[in-house]
Amino acid sequence: MAPVVQTINLQKTYMLGKVPVNALRGVNLEVESGDFMAIVGPSGSGKSTLLNLIGALDRPTEGKVIIDGVDVSTLNDDQLAELRRRIGFVFQFFNLIPRLTASENVELPLAIAGINKRQRKEKTVELLKAVGLSERANHNPTELSGGEQQRVAIARALANDPRFLLLDEPTGNIDSKTADMLISLLKKLNEERGVTIIMITHDPNIAKQAKHIVRILDGKIIEETNNMNGGS
Amino acid sequence: MDIVDIFSYAWGGIKLRKLRAALTTLGIIIGIAAIVALLSLGEGFRIVITSQFERGFALDVLTVTAGRGLLASIIAGSGSEEYLTLNDTYIIDEIAGVKQATATLSKSIGVSLGTKTYTVTVVGINFTEYSTIYSTSFVLQNSSVPLNPSNDSIILGYRLYDPWKNGTILVRVGDYINLTWTTGSIAKPIVKRYTFHVVGVLKEIGGISIFGPSDIQAYIPITTAQEIFETDQVSQIQVQLVNSEQTTIDSVTDSIKNIYGDKVTVISPSAMLNTFSSILSTVQLLLAGLAGISLLVAGIGIMNIMIVSVIERTREIGILKSLGMKNKTVMTIFLCEAALIGLVGAAIGIVFGLGLSNFVTTFIFPLIGGGTNQTNAQGNRVVSNITPVLTPTVCLGAFFFGIATSVLFALYPAWRASKLKPVEALRYE
Ligand SMILES: Nc1ncnc2c1ncn2[C@@H]1O[C@H](COP(=O)(O)OP(=O)(O)OP(=O)(O)O)[C@@H](O)[C@H]1O
Ligand SMILES: [Mg+2]
Repeated sequence: MAPVVQTINLQKTYMLGKVPVNALRGVNLEVESGDFMAIVGPSGSGKSTLLNLIGALDRPTEGKVIIDGVDVSTLNDDQLAELRRRIGFVFQFFNLIPRLTASENVELPLAIAGINKRQRKEKTVELLKAVGLSERANHNPTELSGGEQQRVAIARALANDPRFLLLDEPTGNIDSKTADMLISLLKKLNEERGVTIIMITHDPNIAKQAKHIVRILDGKIIEETNNMNGGS
Repeated sequence: MDIVDIFSYAWGGIKLRKLRAALTTLGIIIGIAAIVALLSLGEGFRIVITSQFERGFALDVLTVTAGRGLLASIIAGSGSEEYLTLNDTYIIDEIAGVKQATATLSKSIGVSLGTKTYTVTVVGINFTEYSTIYSTSFVLQNSSVPLNPSNDSIILGYRLYDPWKNGTILVRVGDYINLTWTTGSIAKPIVKRYTFHVVGVLKEIGGISIFGPSDIQAYIPITTAQEIFETDQVSQIQVQLVNSEQTTIDSVTDSIKNIYGDKVTVISPSAMLNTFSSILSTVQLLLAGLAGISLLVAGIGIMNIMIVSVIERTREIGILKSLGMKNKTVMTIFLCEAALIGLVGAAIGIVFGLGLSNFVTTFIFPLIGGGTNQTNAQGNRVVSNITPVLTPTVCLGAFFFGIATSVLFALYPAWRASKLKPVEALRYE
């Protein structure tokens, strides 16, 4: 089976003034559909950079990202935007839009994708239920706890039935108990709905629960582990 | 994202910063209000002026003056070398399309009314011809115009009889009044005094008159006038046409020009009105242009605020892009915010502008001038009769300019927003 995401010799160089920073130095990665992959590595090793490239938020300096068989580098801005509608992002700092309610935040990607109002409402209700936040639908992000906000963010990321979910330290800003609940939710989504998940984490306990662990150091993959008890 | 969603999202953005949005809108409100006030006052002014002139005018009467140029003709008897005499009326009478021609000779001279002497334009006319040409306006109050007046007959305009329109009558029919004509040099003036018999007072005409009967003039037989002023000249010849159609006006004008060449100027009331209208339009446009400057300032304000807003919302823009929003949609959202501000600003501005112009006409204009002397009285009447008029064109134009200015000045900030790189926008603190 063809991978959902594939990277070939992926490189990213940032310019800090005149000093080039090689954030990624040739990453080759394949993610199969239905996978639950954890990306680990020290701070500054290039995890976020990799995730942003996989999510078509940024363009690589060298190499290729292939999503569903399409070379992302061949796409223009509009096509990239359309591609992003099939990718679910969850960020460390939730990144909800503060002036919108939980359900409006979840509805937003559906509106952007041009789904009609009625279907949007149905889908939003369903998603909030899936993340266990039906009661909080009309609350603003400021009225929600970190864990709740992150669940809204997950619901929003799932709105357009993405090919995969990208999570950049989703538990970085919530306590460990809430983090456990969140991971259970992700595992459930992965197992029951077959959602492909790629997640950056610093927490080894959380990484252990994934099916695969990819270790990154200095912009390179140094280790890929199959987690035998992942998903159990 | 469809346009309804875009607008409701944009509206949310505006609501987020209510005070800021209100202040931005205020700029547009002031600009639009100024434009609307000036234009609706201008339009009201134009209507009053036009209607006032029309009252004094007979559309089927041409005015022929010696010399050339509009200004020279308005200033009666200006120092032109060419001049017209009573004989010329007979020549003009013969032209096809002319019903009848009559000459007038007017001068400003002293007229004693009550206890004071006022400077009044006294017009020498042929009573019979003049009253048939201006049969609707040259009408006496209680009698008919004498067809064979004695040499000392005088007919007064309504405002000479009752200047303040409050029943303070200065002079009555049957009274004798003095006219004082001063000639000679300034150093050695020769003052001549004549006594006239008031044979009638005109009904009120209203309006401003340049040619034709007026409320503030007095009328004496033209032969007497020529004797007093020691001249055989006439100031103007009024030519009544068989009808007021443009073809008649043109053909008679051409015939007169054929006879006199450039020695005379022929003025038709319609041409006169057109000239006035176009002058007023120009003035109005100028005023609107001035008001437009305030709109420009408002536009720069919008640009300023929008740039700040785009910077503040960098992260939000990053989120929208990460959710798959296209650049042009991001741009449209910001343009819609501007358009909404422009729309609301224009709507309020139109209301304020109308309110302002009404305030000016009801409370400010009546304070202008006391209206004690004759010429002032006329000006005051014009001013106090103005009612602001908001034409649909001005209304739509105000909306258009309000929205267009906002959108135009939001283009750059909106473009900047749309060009933000998603990753960098998301990293923005
Ligand atoms: N926009 C940028 N401009 C310049 N350098 C950057 C930029 N983004 C990242 N870097 C650099 O690239 C390297 C990789 O950064 P990246 O954010 O991918 O690390 P990370 O593994 O996600 O770290 P962390 O765990 O702290 O989030 C770092 O050295 C970082 O300083
Ligand atoms: Mg990171």
